Amino acid sequence: MLGGYRAVKDRVRVVIAEDSVLLREGLTRLLTDLGHDVVAGVGDAEALIKTVDELASQGELPDVVVADVRMPPTHTDEGVRAAVRLRKDYPDIGVLVLSQYVEERYATELLAGSSRGVGYLLKDRVAEVREFVDAVVRVAGGGTALDPEVVAQLLGRSRKQDVLAGLTPREREVLGLMAEGRTNSAVARQLVVSDGAVEKHVSNIFLKLGLSPSDGDHRRVLAVLTYLNT
Amino acid sequence: MATEYARQTGDQWAPDDRPRRRHVLPPALRAPVEARTWREFGYLMLGLPVSVLFFVFAVTMTSLGMGLLITFLGVPVLAACLAGCRGFGAVERARARGMLKLDVADPAPVRAKPDGGPMSWMLAMLRSGTSWRHLLYAVLHLPWAVFAFSVSLVLWSYGWAMLTYPLWQWVFPVYAGVDGIQLYGDGTHHIYLDEAGELAVTSAFGLLLTLATPWVVRGLVTVDRVLVTGLLGPSRLATRVSELESDRGVVVDTAAADLRRIERDLHDGAQARLVALAMDLGLAKEKLAHDPQAAARMVDEAHGEVKIALQELRDLARGIHPAVLTDRGLDAALSAVASRCTVPVRVEVDLPARPAPAIEGIAYFTVSELLQNVSKHARASRATVDVWQTADRLMLQVGDDGQGGADPTAGSGLAGLAERLDAVDGVLVVDSPAGGPTTVTAELPWRG
Repeated sequence: MLGGYRAVKDRVRVVIAEDSVLLREGLTRLLTDLGHDVVAGVGDAEALIKTVDELASQGELPDVVVADVRMPPTHTDEGVRAAVRLRKDYPDIGVLVLSQYVEERYATELLAGSSRGVGYLLKDRVAEVREFVDAVVRVAGGGTALDPEVVAQLLGRSRKQDVLAGLTPREREVLGLMAEGRTNSAVARQLVVSDGAVEKHVSNIFLKLGLSPSDGDHRRVLAVLTYLNT
Repeated sequence: MATEYARQTGDQWAPDDRPRRRHVLPPALRAPVEARTWREFGYLMLGLPVSVLFFVFAVTMTSLGMGLLITFLGVPVLAACLAGCRGFGAVERARARGMLKLDVADPAPVRAKPDGGPMSWMLAMLRSGTSWRHLLYAVLHLPWAVFAFSVSLVLWSYGWAMLTYPLWQWVFPVYAGVDGIQLYGDGTHHIYLDEAGELAVTSAFGLLLTLATPWVVRGLVTVDRVLVTGLLGPSRLATRVSELESDRGVVVDTAAADLRRIERDLHDGAQARLVALAMDLGLAKEKLAHDPQAAARMVDEAHGEVKIALQELRDLARGIHPAVLTDRGLDAALSAVASRCTVPVRVEVDLPARPAPAIEGIAYFTVSELLQNVSKHARASRATVDVWQTADRLMLQVGDDGQGGADPTAGSGLAGLAERLDAVDGVLVVDSPAGGPTTVTAELPWRG
C-alpha cells in the first residue's frame, strides 16, 4: 500500500534535528518502521550542520534532513537558518522543516530561489503517518511539501485576490493542493477524481492566472508560489 | 516569630559585624588627623575660589541678559547663563562626590523638541526649574563659602599655631624684637606669653581648638551638603518618577518573561508530548491491520503519554495561577507547594486576614521559587516556611539546613526574585553562609 507512494526511492536516508528527545525518538521510530534509514539524530542546529558536513566528507550525503524550527540555544528560528544554509551548501539534499506554528515568512525564506527539495510542515502532520512519510520521500526526491496552512496563508495574503476570486471552488482546491507540492495524480487521489479531470483543472487555472503551463511539478509549484507572492 | 526575624536579620546588618581596623585613640582625639577631616577642610578651602568664579559668572550674565531682555538678545544670553550654571553645577557635584563622598545624581538634561532648533532649546532651558535652581545656588553659595572659608581657616590655623606655640617659643624666644605673643600692650605695659605656665595654657587652648575644628568643619560642610543636594540634584518629583519608571520596567519585563516561560513550557512540554502521542497513535493505526500486537503496545504507550501530558498541563496551569490560592488563601496554597518539595517542609502561616490578591500571588511565587531552590540546590534534609504579619507588612521566611552559599548577586533566580519584590516596594534578605544553613526573608507591603 505504501509502496505506491515511493516514487523516488525505496529507502530514503534521513538526518533528524529535533531538540525534544521524545519527538526525535518518535520520528526515528516512525521512519524506521516504514522502511527508511535514519542515519543521524541531533539536538541542535550546529550539530546538524556538523553532522551533514561530516557525512558529506565521507561521501554519504543524506537524501533529506528533517529539522525542527526552534532548537537550542536561542529557541527561535535556528532550524530555518540551518536549513537555508544546508540548501545553499548542498543543493542535492532535500530539507523538510517542522514547526509548532506555521509562519508563512519562514516558508518564504526557505523557498527563496528554488522550491526544489524543500518542505515546511506543521509538526502535527506527523500524526498522519503515511502523508508525513510521503512528504519526507517527496522532499528527498527533490519535490515540495508545503503545509496546507502555509498555502492558505499565501493564498489569503496574495494581492491577486480578484484573479483568485475568478477560480471555481474546485479550481481553488486544486491550486491549494498543487501549491502544497503534490503531483497531478496525488491531487487526483486526494480529490477522488480522474487524472484527466485534474489536468483539465490545472490548465484552466494556468489560463486564468495568466501563467504559461509547464510540465515539471516543481517548476509548476514555483510558478504558483511566485505568482501568489508578488 | 517577629523577634526571631529581628534577631536573624539584625545579625546581618549590624555594622559591628564587619571587619574593621582597631584604633588605639578614641574618635575625638583621632578626628583632627583623619583623612575625612582633611578632605572636608580642603572642600571648604577650594569652595571659596570656585564659588567666586561661579558667582561672578552668574551675576554678570544674569544682569547682562536681563538688561538685554528689551531686545531679543537677552534670551540667548540668559540661556547661556543658565547653561553655564549647569556646567558649574556639574563641577560642584563632582567636588562633593570626590571630597564629601556625597553622591548627587545629575539632574535630567534639558528636553528640547528634537527638531526645534536653537530657539526651542533656549526656551526649554529658560523653562527648566532645575536651571534656575543652579543660578540660585550660585548666588546663595558665595556668602556661605566666604563665611565657611574664614571660620574654618582661622580655627584651623590658630589651633595648630597655639598647639605648637611652645616649640616656636623654644626655637625663637625673641622674634623680630618681641618676646612671644603679645596679649596686651599700651606703650608702657606689655604682657607677653613667655613664661612656662603661660606656654602650657596656650598650648592646651590650642589643643582644644584643634580638637574642636573637625567638628566645626563637619558642621559647615553639612550646610554645603544640603545646598548641593537640594539645589543641584534632580528634583524630588523627578527622582520618584525615575524610580517608578524603573519599577514599571521591571514589572513589564517580568510579565513578558512570564509569558515567554509559559510559552516555552507549553512548547517543550505538553505540546511536544501531544505531537509524540499523535505520532504513536498514527503509527498504531497503520499497524492495526497487519500487526495488532504492535498496535496494542503502541496504544498502551500512547495512553501513558496522554496521562503525563495531562499532568504537565496541570502543573503548568498551577504555575500560572493556583486555584487553591484564590479559594483558600496562602496557608492552603503553600501547604500544596511544600508537599511537592523534595524534602519535608514545616509550614506555619499566621495571618489574621488575607492580604491583597496581588501581594498574595507574589508571596506564593516567592515561596514556591525558594522551595524549588531548596529542592534543586540546597541538599537539605528539611526546610521551614513561616508567614506572618507585622504592622502593615507581610513577612515570609524560608529556611533550610542545606549547604548554603546561595548568592543573590550571582545572576541567579534570587536576583530576579529580589527585583520582582522591589517592584512592589518589597525587600528580600538572603542569609546563606557557605556550609549553611540558609534563611531567606522577604518583606512585602500588606496592600500593594
